[in-house]
Amino acid sequence: MKVTFPHMGNVYIGAKFLMDGLGIDYVIPPFNSKRALEIGSLYSPEEICLPFKIMMGNYIESIERGADTIILTGSCGPCRFGEYAELQMKILKKLGKNLDFVVLDLPSDIGFDELKRRINKISSQSPKPKKEKYMALVNAYRIIGLIDALEAKAHDRAGYELNKGECKGLLNECKKKLLETNDPKEAISILKEYHKKMDEVKISREKKPVRVAIIGEIYTIIEPFSNLYIEDKLMEMGVSIKRTLSPSWWVYNTVILSPFGLTAKKIRDAAKEYLPLGVGGHGQECVGEAVLSSEEGFDGAIQIFPLGCMPEIVSKSILPSISRDKNFPILSLVVDEMTGEAGYQTRIEAFIDLLERRRRYVLSRN
Amino acid sequence: MYYLGIDVGSVSTDIVVIDENYNVVESVYLRTKGRPIKAVQEGFKYIKEKIKTNEIAGVGTTGSGRHIAAFLVGADVVKNEITSHAVAALSLDKDVRTIIEIGGQDSKIITLENGMITDFAMNTVCAAGTGSFLDRQAERLEIPIEEFGDYALRSKNPVRIAGRCAVFAESDMIHKQQLGFAVEDIIRGLCEALVRNYLNNVAKGKDIKSKIFFQGGVAANKGMKRAFEEALGCEVFVPKHYNMMGAIGAAILAAERQIKWTNFKGFEIADVKYETASFECSGCSNLCEVAVIKCEDKVIGYFGDRCGRHSGKVAV
Repeated sequence: MKVTFPHMGNVYIGAKFLMDGLGIDYVIPPFNSKRALEIGSLYSPEEICLPFKIMMGNYIESIERGADTIILTGSCGPCRFGEYAELQMKILKKLGKNLDFVVLDLPSDIGFDELKRRINKISSQSPKPKKEKYMALVNAYRIIGLIDALEAKAHDRAGYELNKGECKGLLNECKKKLLETNDPKEAISILKEYHKKMDEVKISREKKPVRVAIIGEIYTIIEPFSNLYIEDKLMEMGVSIKRTLSPSWWVYNTVILSPFGLTAKKIRDAAKEYLPLGVGGHGQECVGEAVLSSEEGFDGAIQIFPLGCMPEIVSKSILPSISRDKNFPILSLVVDEMTGEAGYQTRIEAFIDLLERRRRYVLSRN
Repeated sequence: MYYLGIDVGSVSTDIVVIDENYNVVESVYLRTKGRPIKAVQEGFKYIKEKIKTNEIAGVGTTGSGRHIAAFLVGADVVKNEITSHAVAALSLDKDVRTIIEIGGQDSKIITLENGMITDFAMNTVCAAGTGSFLDRQAERLEIPIEEFGDYALRSKNPVRIAGRCAVFAESDMIHKQQLGFAVEDIIRGLCEALVRNYLNNVAKGKDIKSKIFFQGGVAANKGMKRAFEEALGCEVFVPKHYNMMGAIGAAILAAERQIKWTNFKGFEIADVKYETASFECSGCSNLCEVAVIKCEDKVIGYFGDRCGRHSGKVAV
């Protein structure tokens, strides 16, 4: 058995060390690129959302490298992500690829026994004793938490750094180093080392950078390729960024908190005034985060979602009311495989200009 | 001292020279024709006759070709079109609340409050109603684009044209022509359709308040101006230099910066021979298309690589 998984931001780091810990052979799909997107678009329905297409590209590129089992988290949820696994299975079957799909759905959707059976499919391949398997899971969870936290730290500090590009450089260096090892314990110590380095980056708190919250559909805000590296672009402009949604946030809220009905409680509570019901995906979270980031003193928010995303279309139509009520600028960006980079860049630059000029205006008035 | 503003757009390249009071001293309006470097050089050839290099105290570039232009001339400020257009409009009238800007392939709306941009939008998936489309229709009807607006104004009974999509709008126009409608009525109908399209797409959900400025190349079209006025029920102002507002804004931004030493390379670059080439980088799976600018066989710059391997910018 050789497992693989689709890319989504730092997910590959957590998944890699989980498989390393379990002693199961795996393939990390090549990083998302134009090729992955082209292959993916070729075999996907035209109207499906962008993440589906990129994921298809990932699978096929992994299959070319010998993968025979795909692990995917599922959701029988009320957005098209719920049908991803089924559709992808069918498409790959039609293409004559013989592989196994292990879809990890929530027990509330498929029952504990079924979930256990599915997990067993993978864990039975592991030669390690039970205790070590458990440790592999714990370590992988720690690793994904650490890398997400490191990334968040870099995004925040990039606006304050004295030597331009230092935070970004450290983050990339760390990710490169992680790929060189197969030992989860070593990975944790690398991550800790880089956390320390990141803390020591020379910053100036007097610099008052523009602070922006990134909100919207989870895949397109986490996977940099899908949003044309917006976070890198913003870091280069010296903007301080916050993005709440991350792979570790997802695991914590969806896997650990959901049995207690506490998923994203703070964010959903904040959304209540504008959107009291879940609309699938993370539509309610998007609204809640817009409200929270305006209360937390951010200068503005950027919403990103793939063309045709149902939950985010709902939240997009609500955001202008929040913008008006809270006097809080929000920019909505839609991405798909046709997105032109020039117009995209112009919109981002103009939005950051708007935020800067707005702030200068407020300062000059006081 | 003078300030230079360059707007390299998809269809036109505009170069303006303004003085310290932001009055336009010189201006050139050229067709880009897909060759931004050549367009800028041609413009410089013209301006060189009137203004000396050492009189220029700052340079700003804008438009979709702002980066390549900035690199070519040595710009002090590189700004996006939205900010540039707003700055130029505000320099004319502090009370402007809405800017409708329709260029070669872009259409934008900018809303302002107290002299500050509060919101903006750009066309995303559709370019129906922009300058390129009107150009093409003028050509098809064999009417000079300059007279297009006058034809619309002569019409008494506009024909309803389907304006959702540029291709279907054309089909509908042909259909109406074949039914025997007058050209004037069809053109006016087209203007109304494009305005409808603009208000329903680009301006959807935006508060359009007066005073309204209409700028960009399409503002030359009187038929469009009237169609906007009829649809919005208030006066729409077309500034004198409506087709150069981006360049004027860029020049003002350069002037506002109050830099001591400009990076300007001088009008002499008009006579230097530049060549462009491109290749597909095989450094990683992104396969970026990298453009190379050469000056007399010497490579002077790279564009388009994401990682900075060639252009040497901050690595991703």
